[in-house]
Amino acid sequence: MRLPEVERGDGLANRLLIGFISLVTRMRLPDAARVAFYHKDFGAPIGAWTQAAMRGASAWSVGERELIAAMVAKWNSCAFCEGAHGAVAAHQMQRPLVDAALADFRAAPISERLKATLAFLEIMTLRPAELTRIHAKAVLDAGVSAEALTDAIAVGAIFNIVTRYADALDFALPTPDEFKRAASMLLKRGYAS
Amino acid sequence: MNAPARPDHAALAATLRRRILEEPGETPPAARQAAAQRAAGGPPTQSPYDDLARQIGEAAYRVTDAQVASALSAAGSDKAAFEIIIAASVGAGLFRWEQAMRALKEASDAPA
Repeated sequence: MRLPEVERGDGLANRLLIGFISLVTRMRLPDAARVAFYHKDFGAPIGAWTQAAMRGASAWSVGERELIAAMVAKWNSCAFCEGAHGAVAAHQMQRPLVDAALADFRAAPISERLKATLAFLEIMTLRPAELTRIHAKAVLDAGVSAEALTDAIAVGAIFNIVTRYADALDFALPTPDEFKRAASMLLKRGYAS
Repeated sequence: MNAPARPDHAALAATLRRRILEEPGETPPAARQAAAQRAAGGPPTQSPYDDLARQIGEAAYRVTDAQVASALSAAGSDKAAFEIIIAASVGAGLFRWEQAMRALKEASDAPA
């Protein structure tokens, strides 16, 4: 973590909370949660949109949305977010399925509508200025509704934000076991701090 | 029992933009807006955060300790540097949101 105050918490209440959660869970509170607690008045709308997009009503399952988040993280080379959201996706789907998608989503045994959506989100993430209606039409033609594509675009936009501050702040990388335990917490508690 | 309503993503994105880029904070909104525009592919600026914002937009995994230290020195506090980092990240993300939603709207509006 490159900003010490984010790591330790702003204010006594947050410092105590970070210490308490770390104690109870017997693992270092992940940096993503520390950011959610920090300067809350400023960053709260990120948590609100993330909670709505990841846990609100959607044509996509929670597992599919978590896989989309992990894919965006992979395209942006964000090891923290790929590990964190890959672990949540694996909790909901099969781990080999998540690994296959992360390795090559076009060859993975996932639905054609998810493949078409991921192809769109890959361009959105890596070459956003190139996106045209032809790319969007290809997704609609694959049987994805405009509402479902909107839901997926929201997840893609949010994780194009989160991956950037995760890497700019240099989030500490949890172990695979810690990612797994953090995944259970994210499924139980969600994203709004 | 009624099914929960789908989130209004456009409204949530607008709220995010307003809070991060327009409302008062530790840093002037103009500094946050400059960081957001640079991270969205905008031209170089005279801002002391220009290099960090460009790096966050292009490849955040390549951000260095020195880039953040330089921004922290210019910002004067962790909280102010945090705002700049979040603003740049939001600029890159909302640019992608807008590009994608424009493409979807054009595809939906086009005659079959």
